[in-house]
Amino acid sequence: MAAGLKTVGLRAASILVLILLWWAASAAINDADILPGPDAVARTIVANFQKPGPEGESAWFDVAITLVRIFVAFAAAMIAGIGIGLAMGLNRTCERSLLALIPLMLTMPTILMVFLAIMWFGYSESGSLVAVMAVVTPYVAVNMYEGTKAMDKSLIEMGVTFRASQRLLLRKVYLPQLMPYVFAAFRYAFGATWKIVALAETFGLKFGIGYMFFFWFQQFDMTQVLSWIIMFVVLMLVLEHGLFARIESRAFAWRRAATARA
Amino acid sequence: MKGGAAGSSAITIEKLTKRFPAPGSAEKFTVLHDISLTVDEGKFVSIVGPSGCGKSTLLNVIAGIEAYDGGGVTIHPRADRRGAEPRVAYVFQSPRLLNWLTVENNIHFVLEAQKVPRPRWRELVTKNLEMVGLAGQERNYPLNLSGGMQQRVAIARALAIEPDILLMDEPFSHLDAITARKLRFDLMEILQRAKPTILFVTHDLSEAVFLSDSIYMMTTKPARIFKRVTIDLPRPRKPDSAELFDLEKNLVREFFSVVEANG
Repeated sequence: MAAGLKTVGLRAASILVLILLWWAASAAINDADILPGPDAVARTIVANFQKPGPEGESAWFDVAITLVRIFVAFAAAMIAGIGIGLAMGLNRTCERSLLALIPLMLTMPTILMVFLAIMWFGYSESGSLVAVMAVVTPYVAVNMYEGTKAMDKSLIEMGVTFRASQRLLLRKVYLPQLMPYVFAAFRYAFGATWKIVALAETFGLKFGIGYMFFFWFQQFDMTQVLSWIIMFVVLMLVLEHGLFARIESRAFAWRRAATARA
Repeated sequence: MKGGAAGSSAITIEKLTKRFPAPGSAEKFTVLHDISLTVDEGKFVSIVGPSGCGKSTLLNVIAGIEAYDGGGVTIHPRADRRGAEPRVAYVFQSPRLLNWLTVENNIHFVLEAQKVPRPRWRELVTKNLEMVGLAGQERNYPLNLSGGMQQRVAIARALAIEPDILLMDEPFSHLDAITARKLRFDLMEILQRAKPTILFVTHDLSEAVFLSDSIYMMTTKPARIFKRVTIDLPRPRKPDSAELFDLEKNLVREFFSVVEANG
C-alpha cells in the first residue's frame, strides 16, 4: 500500500514538473502563437466546454461524438477479431486459409489504411470504421489464435469426457483461458482505435475532437490546438487506466487469490 | 446397494482391439489386443500393468473420446436409469480443474454438461464435497487448495453426476506418498457410502490390491490381459494387513514371470 502511494506521488510529481517546465518555457518565449502557457490553455479548455464553438456546439458534443466513434469501431474490431481468431484456432480450414492473409494485413501501415478507407468510402463514418477494422481486427485475431494454441488440451479433454457441449466448452473452458490474450489485444486495440479515429476526424469527418483540432490548426490558433490535444490525451488516459484496468482486475480475481496464497 | 440385481454388469468389453498408426511407417501397431473384461455394478475393478501398456488408452476408449478398431464396449446404465444415455465420469492423473471457477462452479460445469436438472445442483454439490471432506470449500478457488485437496474436488466432481461408471486413471500417482495414502483410505470410505462402479487404472499393485474387488493384470507387447484375480477380503481393509501383503507379493511374482516370458 505504501509502495502504491509512493508511485502515485512520483507520478503526480513528474507531471507537475512537466507543467512547470512548460510554464517556464512559455514565459521565456512570451509568444502565445508559439507556446501559450498552461494557464491560458486550461482556461480555453474550460471555456470550450461552457460555450458553443465555431460550429455552434460546445466541446461536450465533440467529446461525445469522438467517444461514440471510438467505442463503435473498437467493439466491432474486437468482436470480429475474437471471432476470426477463435475460428482460426478451432477450425483447420479457417486456420489454413486465413493464416497467410493476416501478416499481409499486419504489414500495412496504419496511415495508408486510413487514406485508402477515405478514398473508398469518402469522408464518412463507415470510412473510419473500415480503417479501424482493417488495422485492428487482424491484430486481435492473431492474438486470439495464439491464445487458442496455448490452451490446456487436457482441460478440453476433461470437458469432452464429461460430454460438455461446444457452447459450454466455449464459455467455461476456451474463453477463460483466452482472457489474458483478449486483454493484451484490448489495450493495443484501444490505443490503435483512438489514434485512427483521431486521424480520420482530422482528415475528413465532421465534428469530434480531431476535427476541432484540425479546425484550429488551420486558424493557426496554438492555444486552441493545444487545448484539444490535451483534452484528447487526458480523456484516453482516464479511459485506459480508470476503466480498463478495473475491468481487467475483476476478470482475473481468481488469479489474485492464487498469488495471495503463494 | 442401488441399482439392479447384484452381479448385473455395468461395463462389458468384448475382444476390444485398437491400433495406432506407427510413426514413419504405413503399418499400425496394436495398442490394445483382444481385451475382454466385465465390471459388475457397484464393484471396484482395477487394471494393473506396466507404464505404456495402453491402460489409459483403454479408459479413453471406454469414455468415448477415442475410437477403436475391433470388438465392442457396452456401458449399461444403472437399473433406475435404464434406457438413458450412460453416464461416464473420469478422474484423471492430475485434477484438471477449471482454475477460474470456484470449487462449486467446477462441479456445476459437469452437472450442466450432463444436463442434470438445476434444482438438484445444490444438493449434489453439498453432498459430494462433504463426502470427500471438503465441506465449506464451495466458494474457494482451486489454486487456493493443496494438490491432494484439488484431487478430492476432482473426485467430488466425478461422483456428482452420479455416474454409471467412474473411470480413474492413476488418480493418486501425482501426489506425495503420504497424501496418496490418506486419499486411498478416504476413497475406501467413500465407496462404502456412494457405492459407485469403478474401473481403476494403476501400475501400483499394492494400491490395486488394497482397493479392488477384482484385478485385471495387463502386459505389454502386445497389450493384453493375462490374468483376472478376485480379492475377497472383507472391507474396511487395513493397508498393511498380512493378507494384502501376501497377495501383492504373489501377484508381483506372477507379473515378473509373465514379463520375462515375454522377453
